[in-house]
Amino acid sequence: MTSAYAELVAATNFSFLRGAAHPQQMLQTAMLLGQTGLGIADRNTVAGVVRAYSALKQLQEDGTPPIQKVREGSGPGEYAFIEHPIKGDLEVPKEELKRLAKTFKLVVGARLVFADGTPDIVTYPTDRTGWGRLCRLLTTGNRRARKGACTLYLDDLLADAADLLLIVMPERRLDGLGRTLAQAREATPGAIWLGAAMHRRGDDRRRLLRLKALAEEARVPLLAVNNVLYDTPEARDLQDIVTCIREGVTLAAAGRRLEANAERHLKPPEEMARLFRDAPEAVAETQDFLARTDFSLDQLRYHYPDEPVPLGYTAQSWLETLVWRRASFLYPNGLSRKVERLLKEELALIKELDIARYFLTIHDIVRVAEDKGILCQGRGSAANSAVCYVLGITAADPAKHDLLFARFISSQRREPPDIDVDFEHERREEIIQHIYERYGRERAGIAATVIHYRPRSAMREVGKVLGLTADVTARLASTQWGSWGNEIVDEHVRQAGVDPANPEIRRALNLASRLLGFPRHLSQHVGGFVLARGRLDEVVPIGNAAMPDRTFIEWDKDDIDALRLMKVDVLALGMLTCIRKAFELLKRYEGIDLKLNGFDPDGSDDRFKVYEMLQEADSLGVFQVESRAQMNMLPRLKPKEFYDLVIEVALVRPGPIQGDMVHPYLRRRNGLEEVVYPAPAPEHGHKNELFDVLHRTLGVPLFQEQAMRLAMVAAKFTDGDANGLRRAMATFRNVGTIHTFETKMIAGMVRRGYDPDFAKRCFEQIKGFGSYGFPESHAVSFANLVYVSSWLKCYHPAIFACALLNSQPMGFYAPAQIVRDAEAHGVEVRSVDINHSAYDCTLELCQDGALALRLGFRQVDGFSRAEGERLAQARGMGFASVEELATRGKLPAHSLRRLADADAFRSLGLDRRDALWAVRRLPDDGPLPLWAAADARELGDEPEARLPPMALGEHVAADYQTLRLSLKAHPMEILRPLFRRERIITSAELAALGHGAWARHAGVVLVRQRPGNGKAIFITLEDEAGITNVVMWESTFERFRREAMSARLLLVEGRVQKSPEGIVHLMAERAFDRTEELKRLSENHDPTIEISRADEVLRPQPPRQQATHPRNVRILPKSRDFH
Amino acid sequence: MRRSGGPDEPPLVLTELATGALRLAAVSRGALAVGLTPGLTLADARARIPRLVTIEHDPAADDALLELMAEDCERWTPLVALDPPHGLLLDITGCAHLFGDEAALRHRVLRRFRRAGFTVNATVAGTPDAARALARFGRAAVVPTGGEAAAARSLPVAALELPDETHVALRRAGLKRLADLMDRPSRPLSARFGAQLATRLNRVLGREDRRITPLRALPPCFVEQNFPEPLADPEDVFRVLRQLVEHAAKTMEGRGEGGRVFEASFFPSDGGVRRSRVETGRPSRDAKSILRLFREKLDTAPFDPGFGFDLIRLAVPVAEPLAATQPQLDGKALEDGELASLVDRLAARFGAARVLRFSAVDTHDPSRSEKLVPATAALPDGASWPEPEPGEPPLRPLQLFEPPLQVSVVAEVPDGPPAGFRWRRVFHHVVRVEGPERIAPEWWRDPDRPARDYYRVEDREGRRFWLFRTGLYGEAPETNWYLHGLFA
Repeated sequence: MTSAYAELVAATNFSFLRGAAHPQQMLQTAMLLGQTGLGIADRNTVAGVVRAYSALKQLQEDGTPPIQKVREGSGPGEYAFIEHPIKGDLEVPKEELKRLAKTFKLVVGARLVFADGTPDIVTYPTDRTGWGRLCRLLTTGNRRARKGACTLYLDDLLADAADLLLIVMPERRLDGLGRTLAQAREATPGAIWLGAAMHRRGDDRRRLLRLKALAEEARVPLLAVNNVLYDTPEARDLQDIVTCIREGVTLAAAGRRLEANAERHLKPPEEMARLFRDAPEAVAETQDFLARTDFSLDQLRYHYPDEPVPLGYTAQSWLETLVWRRASFLYPNGLSRKVERLLKEELALIKELDIARYFLTIHDIVRVAEDKGILCQGRGSAANSAVCYVLGITAADPAKHDLLFARFISSQRREPPDIDVDFEHERREEIIQHIYERYGRERAGIAATVIHYRPRSAMREVGKVLGLTADVTARLASTQWGSWGNEIVDEHVRQAGVDPANPEIRRALNLASRLLGFPRHLSQHVGGFVLARGRLDEVVPIGNAAMPDRTFIEWDKDDIDALRLMKVDVLALGMLTCIRKAFELLKRYEGIDLKLNGFDPDGSDDRFKVYEMLQEADSLGVFQVESRAQMNMLPRLKPKEFYDLVIEVALVRPGPIQGDMVHPYLRRRNGLEEVVYPAPAPEHGHKNELFDVLHRTLGVPLFQEQAMRLAMVAAKFTDGDANGLRRAMATFRNVGTIHTFETKMIAGMVRRGYDPDFAKRCFEQIKGFGSYGFPESHAVSFANLVYVSSWLKCYHPAIFACALLNSQPMGFYAPAQIVRDAEAHGVEVRSVDINHSAYDCTLELCQDGALALRLGFRQVDGFSRAEGERLAQARGMGFASVEELATRGKLPAHSLRRLADADAFRSLGLDRRDALWAVRRLPDDGPLPLWAAADARELGDEPEARLPPMALGEHVAADYQTLRLSLKAHPMEILRPLFRRERIITSAELAALGHGAWARHAGVVLVRQRPGNGKAIFITLEDEAGITNVVMWESTFERFRREAMSARLLLVEGRVQKSPEGIVHLMAERAFDRTEELKRLSENHDPTIEISRADEVLRPQPPRQQATHPRNVRILPKSRDFH
Repeated sequence: MRRSGGPDEPPLVLTELATGALRLAAVSRGALAVGLTPGLTLADARARIPRLVTIEHDPAADDALLELMAEDCERWTPLVALDPPHGLLLDITGCAHLFGDEAALRHRVLRRFRRAGFTVNATVAGTPDAARALARFGRAAVVPTGGEAAAARSLPVAALELPDETHVALRRAGLKRLADLMDRPSRPLSARFGAQLATRLNRVLGREDRRITPLRALPPCFVEQNFPEPLADPEDVFRVLRQLVEHAAKTMEGRGEGGRVFEASFFPSDGGVRRSRVETGRPSRDAKSILRLFREKLDTAPFDPGFGFDLIRLAVPVAEPLAATQPQLDGKALEDGELASLVDRLAARFGAARVLRFSAVDTHDPSRSEKLVPATAALPDGASWPEPEPGEPPLRPLQLFEPPLQVSVVAEVPDGPPAGFRWRRVFHHVVRVEGPERIAPEWWRDPDRPARDYYRVEDREGRRFWLFRTGLYGEAPETNWYLHGLFA
């Protein structure tokens, strides 16, 4: 018997915590079972449909199963990949898959779940209009509810159900169903079905007959469905797990909340026919239903918004006008032929692809930012475009750099352009609100980010559901620290002290690894905007975000890419805030007016000093190159020109490090290795073909695009091959496909006359790259900020430090280190004071004309901006007494105490202790400040307090507690006499020792890092003389783990290692926890030494409050850890 | 925390979920020695000491232990108050002389608990707050009368147990010891650190007293007997109990009262208290019947005096005027409450584990859908019998066979319904059938069990059966049929 069947009610795992199969899997399985089509309908959402659509397209095009991309971080290329291989043993040939896919019909819609007790109605659009209607319907429901929920009523649907096909899904009890059917039929005659499922619940046949009767009575056709939740019956356990997660219960307690059996999977057509033998017409009806829909997601023709074009121009002509106008302004001495040629080529391509509106839209946003005085700069591949530079979007000057426009847009790739723009992190919200205002909420929306189950969260939830103890669950979860490995390695599990052979543990690991990559909920993307000419809510449903005034669409970046919608990323970058603030200060104090693209890193005379500074790794606070690894690289790389900075930025990245490109590059750069460019046999190509690709990086591929170009040029990979290689590289952890590419590439290169060894090496390099390479244009954009921030630090250290402090939190270092560094560069730093400080840090003119940095109230813990500003405003000629400050400053008592605690009353002649004594006397809250002052005067005569004086150590400790830094002394300075007796040397003394010398050194711990392979631990110690980098090999670390992990003041013994470039490391052999010594500063106050934001022990989670008062304990915030 | 192992033992910590993370709630000496402190996250602790033994913190068990210790202290004074999380307050007014003097009593208390493996500290002082502060923050043993202020001078200001903020402020002001506060006029201090400071200071200095709330209210009537040598022979114990009951009866007679509840407390010399409680339906002071109740009670539960008791106390927590009239004795209407009291009585006599009732279990598996629980126990949460659907026939039979009975069945392959089956040598022709109802096993419980297809069938004679098949022809290695139950 041949019976065609298509499952029309399939929920994927985008029916969050209900469905248990990825959309891609669902599609593949339905296809391979021989169904003619599939209807995907998730619970009040269409979030998962694009994935199924892309999967189908890919299968149609090349017959390979799709790979799911999961974002891991915010940087370029930070993805993990999940494969959805064909299930079962059967090897389905590509051609067969292609053939199946060509005839397979995917229909997409949503399962509407109502808030008024109506049975669920699965809804599919018949055409593009219907899709728009469905999206608006879901938008209505979303906007009505809080984030993540959708409140729909039957009336919303019935009000306008034209162009929609409805399948009413009966609930367990059938009363009232007849009425719903009648209502629905009235609203959309001829477009309504009654769904019937056979789930082996005992009364199936009886129920089917009743449904049949009901359908006949209502004159609607009966439709066979299986109401599926997963693709194959083996997924039942996973579905039970997600049900338990949803219900917040353990498996043992879930009971009848779980499904009784495993019937809700996709079934072969014959099986469906057999189940529905009492109503064969219901199975046949699925084909009629399929024929009724004519909507596919590729009909979502996208139109760029067209506001920015003034009357009388077309988008293209206006863009051209703008470009030439701005170009003549930018290049007052006339355009070079190169730039002119680039602009002409680009404009021609833009015209060909009809994407001028896109550029105009971005230009418009950037112009608004400019008007508001918000700094911005494009990043990513857009920096390859001369047009973008001329429009002020990016900072890579085509006159100075070799730009590869083809990386950005190419006529072959047919992908929409993608421009990411960074804005000042403090003011990005203004831009976002501007976009909403300008385009309206119907036309602008932020992209979603699908929050997936990651190793940790998956393990945690599964452990909870299986009833494992919290400790074992936490331990299992921690084995996956920071990695997305698709398999959970036994060895890791054993290291965590759990037996992987234990069946309970095995089960937990198995389920958790299957849960990986499941979507958990949607969240808003950090700044990816989608803009449309027409109504966006007719393209995709829009929902509320958790933040007020934010809405986001249901699709994420990859979905948007797949459907080729226009998006622009409005990102936040702290350094831009810092630079803008520095520019403002420069203008105000030095009369210098600067612009972000007004620097000439390769031409101006002042550049030498900047590069000199960087060569000495004096880069604290500088954009990107301030990390420990970057600081080590700087003296080796010795940047002398702008392109060196581009390389510096890209070199210290996981890709080049793992691909082992760093050392070959450095050797070649320092002339220790010959720079050679192997060539193909003359008959196969030009001998310079590799030189062209690699000469700027001395023959070593460092950038993402170089890796691909290498394969294409040397082994003649096609575009498709290169894409396949890129995908294979990303997933090479667990597929064999990489080997086919390996063979192909090496064979290709050898065939063209390359040396096999060289070919092999090239491939190894590319493989090491994985997907972690940095695109060159991105590095160029970043390098510009590196230069600008270095210039500021070099020539205006006070201004730079001030701007940096006022932009916190950002960067790697805490305010204490920024202040210390400023002092080291000769800046006088003045303490917070009620008579001199503003909320932000400010600059004061010294006698000698230099600028001094005055710390602001923002450094005082817990002191609000509003209070700080109020105080500064009320100050006038200054406060003469505590009482005056209380009355005129209108500060609540607790704020006054904070100021006193921070020792900010020195200008009144009161030190911390006296000030506190005076301030605490003011009544707590309650009475008006006027009364408080009157009271204070009345209580005027009091016996002398005779408080003991506060020791320096105590002051320093209290400074660290309240300000997180001390200008009075470094804690180590006070402890020095003690350490001196133990022959413990300072960092300066250590740096003066020769290579191999034995040293004992102690300092407060700033950063602990365990990079990549984990062979060594890096600890940065600080003392009064500076910073020391300690390296601890793993074996030493295992012996001194406790000391290294918990000490705030660490004593390290070991040998000094000095590189030829003068980089000093202390190779730890022994370590001692000397934290107790900090108590000597003051038995009263534990100094709070803030650990850098880069500390990996600390970072993954923000510091949490301790059991006791945080001010008492917040020494080093505690956190989870590396193991 | 009790005994932590030797020096080679890995450090032991108790963990609890607090502020969003698993944290150390308490640590062993060994853990303390390697720098682990309560409040640290477990992940952090493990990063430092990978070999860490963890136990989940059970505050209820701590409280129970503290209560047990409190009860044990009732051997010295009836007025024992809990001072959680780890303190006890003993009002020894008028008791100390029974054990020598205050120092001797303190010594006894310390010795008793230290021997049991506890780390304890104790101070005798004039007021509870003074004693608490000195015990927790000082070293004083017995503070002479009126000497609290002098003893407290050297205590750190932390001994006032003020909010952290005040505490930090005091130390910032350089006021570190109570002496610093005592030697200053109190008004400027109160103005700065709040009135609470003065109150706390006065209490700790013994200038102000407060009442403690004892763990157990003093019963209206109690009598007790101490023994120099522990009493181990059960008959001796009963003899003493009889004397105590008679004594109490006499006391009550004088008051014109009868007891409703009698409670005997046996204090074993090795710690812990055993209590036995009997209730009478009406007030009574009939020593004989009361003793009989005790004997019944003590006989059913094995009564093991262990190393013997050094104190036996009889208390009458509930006493009422001895009524002249009797309650009705018709005994006809058993009201709801009386069923409960019957259950109570039966449970008292036969043991709670022997009086059982059915409780629903929330599961799809019919064999597990009910279980027996002690009738006196509260029903587990969420356990309810499934509501029958209106208009539907009963889907589950009244009688279930456990285990199901294997039967031979004639049925269509692969998954057809039964056409007839043979059970107890009788062949039943199936005339009506509904199904299958497929019930999959609970995979986390028995992963290998196949799913069952249940059928409700009716034979020619109108009898209804519940049959199931495991395994499908062609799919499972073997297919079997079972009879699982009979419908009425």
